This record gives sequence, structure tokens and C-alpha cells, in this order.
Amino acid sequence: MLEFLIQNNIVCHAVEAMLFASIACAILSVIITQVQISSIGFTMAHAAFAGAAVGMFLSLNPTVCSIVAGIGVAFLIGPLSDKARLSPDTSLGLLFGICMAVAIFFIAYMQTLGRGFSTMGLLFGDVISLYREEIYLLVVICIVAVAFVLVLYKEITAIIFNKRIAESVGIRVKPVYYAMLFMIALTVSLCLPIIGGLLLYVWLVIPAAIALQFCNRLSSMFVVAPAVAAVVSVSGALIGLEYSLPVAPLTAIIFSVVFIVAVILSPRRRVTFRKT
Amino acid sequence: MTPPDPIIRLESVYTAYEGADRPTLTDVSLAIEKGEFVVIGGPNGAGKTTLLETINGMLPITHGMATVCGQDVRKNGVQVRCRVGYLLQSFAFDPLTPFTVEEVVLMGRFGTIGLFRKPKKEDYEAVQGALSLLGIEDLAARPIGKLSGGQQQKVLMAQNLARNPEVLLLDEPFSNLDMFAREEINRLLAGLVGDGVTVLIVSHAFDDLPERAVRVVVMQEGTIVVNRECSPGEVEQVVRNAGREALHA
Repeated sequence: MLEFLIQNNIVCHAVEAMLFASIACAILSVIITQVQISSIGFTMAHAAFAGAAVGMFLSLNPTVCSIVAGIGVAFLIGPLSDKARLSPDTSLGLLFGICMAVAIFFIAYMQTLGRGFSTMGLLFGDVISLYREEIYLLVVICIVAVAFVLVLYKEITAIIFNKRIAESVGIRVKPVYYAMLFMIALTVSLCLPIIGGLLLYVWLVIPAAIALQFCNRLSSMFVVAPAVAAVVSVSGALIGLEYSLPVAPLTAIIFSVVFIVAVILSPRRRVTFRKT
Repeated sequence: MTPPDPIIRLESVYTAYEGADRPTLTDVSLAIEKGEFVVIGGPNGAGKTTLLETINGMLPITHGMATVCGQDVRKNGVQVRCRVGYLLQSFAFDPLTPFTVEEVVLMGRFGTIGLFRKPKKEDYEAVQGALSLLGIEDLAARPIGKLSGGQQQKVLMAQNLARNPEVLLLDEPFSNLDMFAREEINRLLAGLVGDGVTVLIVSHAFDDLPERAVRVVVMQEGTIVVNRECSPGEVEQVVRNAGREALHA
């Protein structure tokens, strides 16, 4: 798609992958941070990671397995809290621990069996060994994420504002909330091979945190967060490949630096008054 | 001529919170006519908020029958909530909440607009109408998180009025308001009742009630112990007497 700009095929694929993955994650980061479900996003990222590891062990499609695991965990959180009488926070901690244990067990066991499986791609991402079909899939998830927000914008804004108020004005909160979780699980699973299970969380939180420093309105956050994420991710890919640095970790570091600069420059924290 | 059906009818209703061992409301029966002004009193934990949330279908009814505006609350909770305004008990919004007052008030119409549809001109006009009813048009573009507690409460009141409710459920609406704002809201409520809106109000402040006959409902331990009409001046005494009787029982 971007071959007219970047001649080198490997660099072009890497930039395309980072661009589309970052836009999809950044759109969802606004929902995740504003509904305050970042722990859910964190746990789902690790569930997808565990699903991919199990898939590889069983010689199944790791992307499909990570989608199933991510969605499975999203739908387990509520019933687990109710049945075990645990707070959602404790349930998430429990599921996160289980997911990590499963992922590490299968990765370590595969190495013991000498199946030649490199764990680094799943942990920290791999942007240079992607198939064209995987990039097309990222374009699709990017479009789906944008469409999801456009179609359900009123419902999403009301739930972000306050779930109880949203319910009291006649919005069907539960189906929309579960649709949000489904979208997060799907995006997380498709972005996992590029960004990696351990770093995905950065893409799911920091873009919105940066946007919040400058935006008074939710609608502007949905524009600023993906724009910032796209610029940072493409820069990370280009710099990383130019200087042979690991792309996803480097991009995560750039995100952190941009966030710190955004906090320092944020007009929303400045106290100003005009003497008339 | 047969009298019209009550706008709110509860018959032997039991309500329980998810995971609770016993019901929060027990055998509650209540009939309220269109245009009534109902004051709900009682000690903390008596079930006043639960009663409001049962009426608008936010809590599951485990036993009994409830109809509001002619709709079965158990089956059509969402439709009921589109016609019933509900001002929740005190709220404080984070200063960084990314919503303006106008956006918050518009949310009051989201249920009636419906899924996959965008707000139309009439929705924005209803928002302007609600803002001017409460005298807060000048706050429309301000972020809600930057307003005082009283102003935020007025915004949430406007959110409820924006959908022209047939029934208005108010849970401690005066908690963050100064005496001038209380008088203003009371005048507004009197006007709404005059227009045929049914108002149910949970409050501990009985001194500024509208000058008209009111129904007082007193709750104790999840059940109704007093349900009768009286003048606004008598409400406090009725609630106090019910409390004393409960203490001596």
C-alpha cells in the first residue's frame, strides 16, 4: 500500500503494520482509559499471549487461539467476580496470573522439546516477518475499530460518562459494554504478533493518556490519540529499522517520552486567569 | 366513567440486589396517579433509592408486578427508562472528564433517539430548552468537571428534563444546592407537576416543598409503613412520627 513512498519491501511492510496496528489500538485506548478498564485490557493482552502460545504448541493458528483466549477472559471476568464473590480487581489479578503461567509454561516446554520456537516475537513483537495477508487483516481491524466508534458513538460516550447514568437514560449498557470487550480482544489478538504481549499495553493506554493532556472533548480525543499513535509508531519503525534497533520496544520508549513531554506542556493543567 | 390507571403501580414487589441473600424491598405495593407529587422519607438504608431504581427497572424484581406509564417494568425496562427521568444521588466528576455541559444534557435523549441514530435538530432544541429552564445556558460549552457540585447537579437535572419525562424520580436533589437554588428547583418542580409530570422525590429537606397537596411515603427496612396524602407543612411531622413509632415498636 505504501510502496510508492517506501521502496524497501521489508521497511514498507513494517511501517504499514505499525501504522494500522497503532491506529486501531489508539482508538480503543480512548475507550479503555475513559471507561477505566485498563486492567481488563492488560489481562486480555496477556490472555491473547497465552492463547497464541497454546496455539503454537498444538500446531493451531495462533491468531485464532489468541482471539478465543482474549474473548474467553473478557467474558469470564464478570461471572468469576460474582460466583467467587471477588472484587473485579482481584478477579483480573487472578486471570492475569493464570494467563502468564499458561503462556510461560508452554513457551518453556516447547523449548525443552527443542521445537525451535523463538519466544521473542510473541513477547516483544516482530515487524519484519509479516505476510501481506496479515497486513490486510490489520487494515480491516482498523476500519472495524473506526466504524465501531462511529456507529455506537452516543452509546460509547454515555457509558464513558457514567454507566449508571447511561442505563438510566435508556441505553442498553450490557450489550454495548460486551461489544467493547469483544473489539478489544479482537484488536489485541491481531496486533499481538507485531507489538508483542508484553508491550501491547503501551499502545492500549498511552495514546489516550497523551490526548487527554490536550483535549477537552471526547470527540477530539478520538482524533488526536490515533494521530499521535500513528506518528510515534511510524517514526519508531523507521528509526528502529534504520539503526537495527528492536522496533516495538523502541516505539514504546518514544511513546513514554512523548507522554512526559505532553504532561509538561499540557494546557489543561495550567492555571491561567485574565485581569479585565 | 372509570378512573384512569395509576401511572405507577407496584403490587407485592420484592427486589434483591445481585448476589444478595435477602430482598431489599419486601412486599411493596404502591399506586401513584399522574401529576402527583410524592415525597419519600425514612432512615438511611430503608430502601428509598431501591424503590426508585425498582420503579425505573434498573433493579431486578424477584416477585410481584410493576407497571410504569402502562409498561411492564420487568419486560420493558429500557422503554420505561426512556419515559422516566432519574436523578441519581450525589455525584462528583473528575476535573479532566472530557464532556461539556451541552454534551451531558444531550445524553438525556440518547435512549429516545435509539440505537445507530444520530441526534437531530429537535434533540438540540430540547437541550437548549432544558438548559434555559434551569438558567444554565451560559454553562453549555464549559467542561462539566470544572463546575461546582451544585452546578453539576443542575446539569444532571437538565439532562433528565431534556427528554420530557412523564415521571421524574429525584434522589436527594437538594444535597449540593444552596438555598436560592433549592427555591428555584422547587418552583420548577411545582411547574412540572402542574403540567402533569409525576414527581417522586427522596429528600431529608422538607422545608421548601411546593404549596400543594403531596403524598408522603415513609419506608422502614425495605417496606412502606406510611402512604398518605397531606399538606406540605405536615410532611416533616409525618416522617418523624413514623420514625418514632418504628423505634418504640
